[in-house]
Amino acid sequence: MNRPRLAIAGLTACSGCQLMLLNCEGELPEIVERFEIVHFPMGESGSDPLDRYDVAIVEGAVSTPKDHQTLFRLRNASRTLIALGTCALFGGVAAMNNGTWDRGEALREVYGEGAGEIDSFRPAALGSFVTVDFAVTGCPPEKSEILELLSALLAGTLPPLPSYPVCLECRSRENLCLLLERDDLCLGPVTRGGCNARCPATGIACEGCRGPVEEANVAQELELLLERRFSKEEIVRRMSRFKAEWDYGQRR
Amino acid sequence: MATMFLKESLLGEFLETLRLFGELAGPTLSVQGVTVLAPVTDPSLLLLDYKRTQIPPKKYLLPFREKVISFSKGGYHNGGDEPARTVLFAIHPCDLEGIAYLDRVFLADPADPGYARRRSGLTLVGISCEPDDFCFCSGTGEAAPCDLFLNRAEGGFEVTLSTARGEEIAAAARGCLTAFDSASKGKKSPLPPLRKGGDVVPAVRPQGLKRATLVPGSVDPELRFSGHPLWEEFARRCVGCGACSVCCPTCYCFDLREYPELTGGHRRMREWDNCLFKNHGEVAGGNFRPERLDRLRYRFLHKFCGFSPLEGMSSCVGCGRCRQFCPVDIDLRELLPEEGS
Repeated sequence: MNRPRLAIAGLTACSGCQLMLLNCEGELPEIVERFEIVHFPMGESGSDPLDRYDVAIVEGAVSTPKDHQTLFRLRNASRTLIALGTCALFGGVAAMNNGTWDRGEALREVYGEGAGEIDSFRPAALGSFVTVDFAVTGCPPEKSEILELLSALLAGTLPPLPSYPVCLECRSRENLCLLLERDDLCLGPVTRGGCNARCPATGIACEGCRGPVEEANVAQELELLLERRFSKEEIVRRMSRFKAEWDYGQRR
Repeated sequence: MATMFLKESLLGEFLETLRLFGELAGPTLSVQGVTVLAPVTDPSLLLLDYKRTQIPPKKYLLPFREKVISFSKGGYHNGGDEPARTVLFAIHPCDLEGIAYLDRVFLADPADPGYARRRSGLTLVGISCEPDDFCFCSGTGEAAPCDLFLNRAEGGFEVTLSTARGEEIAAAARGCLTAFDSASKGKKSPLPPLRKGGDVVPAVRPQGLKRATLVPGSVDPELRFSGHPLWEEFARRCVGCGACSVCCPTCYCFDLREYPELTGGHRRMREWDNCLFKNHGEVAGGNFRPERLDRLRYRFLHKFCGFSPLEGMSSCVGCGRCRQFCPVDIDLRELLPEEGS
């Protein structure tokens, strides 16, 4: 059987999404047998950067010229390019201050005045630079989603895309609605589902780590939260954590 | 249809008898404080005066996610597990009507094998209820579709046996049931009052599943509904969370999805779908309900006008969940014309 040639790489991110793949311990032998993993700097040394790949799975946002270069190389070398995780899809945590901080100011705050010139720009999603064929969202994605992706790739297809909000799975699990019943700052209605409402099931309000759902009614969510006496500033701060720029007037 | 009497003091014994017919489940509070149908471990935790569960009994018939079929090692395997024998205790008439509606959809020829399997293992024990502000059924029916119905009366319950299984249960529980004598057992409790006026629309007759009489006269309800200016307002507010449909006792839309497996086999899964979501109307080349307004209106029209062969059949049982669980207070009753208008 022809084993698809796989590249797995990370840009500006915490490597948690790639780690999630390594966490699929029970399935790793099967994965290694079914795929030819030819480029995976986090998992193994000695890869040939001039290889060509059937699939490149890329974690992280693009925030340095090196990220940019790596992304272009992977895109050019791969038939299919997959964004893995919220950073790759929406900019994620690295981009949370894009709307509020000047990049130079942020770099000085983190690295100090003595750090000298750091070549870095506002973190952005992969899709801002290259064509992305499919994305698995999540901070990090669920193991099951990574396995569904790999299994679908083997079958020559892509998994179904969850286009429903967190509320669907949350209600179906018979959780307490934290937005309505506890007046929490819950982002479930505007956040893409697929996590089986992992946080609300344990009583923690949805923080929106999977990014916006399709056609999110952002304006209404804002109204609901303002009615619950959260300040606009606090709401925007929370909503920016995993995706920097929302259109707060958007209703569909 | 025989009627017996169950004294309040013998309820515990009666519940133990019900366990002979399957795992006993009933309304109780979850750890998070949500009213749910769950296995009855301790009968004292049963909520006999509950208003409504967040998820209706449909979860016992249509699981949120179920394997329909799997393919591995060159052969297909049915996904169906052996049905659990379950006794659902203290189900309200609206939810019983909801199950009756699902039966019409899924047991019609050809019957849905998964549904039919689970339905055959289900015993239904109904209970009378008092409506709250969210309810809009037209009163407790005398003949709520179940095996055995408990109508609250002074000192206990009048027990109505409607099916052979109901008779079987009564036979097994003969130690705690007595012959019903309306003269000696006190007055029969009145049916919960039909709530009129204000926020209630008496024209809705959901529970009998009779021809929809939403709009008196010959006006096509579809036309009447579609022009309503409130649709615009509802579509503006709706956050598209899908709770109204998830929590609806008669919403049964599902999607079938194929999940390949690493080993080369695959699973075909049936998962709850929701007409409030954009992809529900997505087909090759477009979307036949592109706007949220289209989707909201579609959902409510389907409830009240239905489709062939259930055309004209109201599938709204008036349980009030869609209103209670809506984060933005969308209340479809505001759309319904007042009686006589």
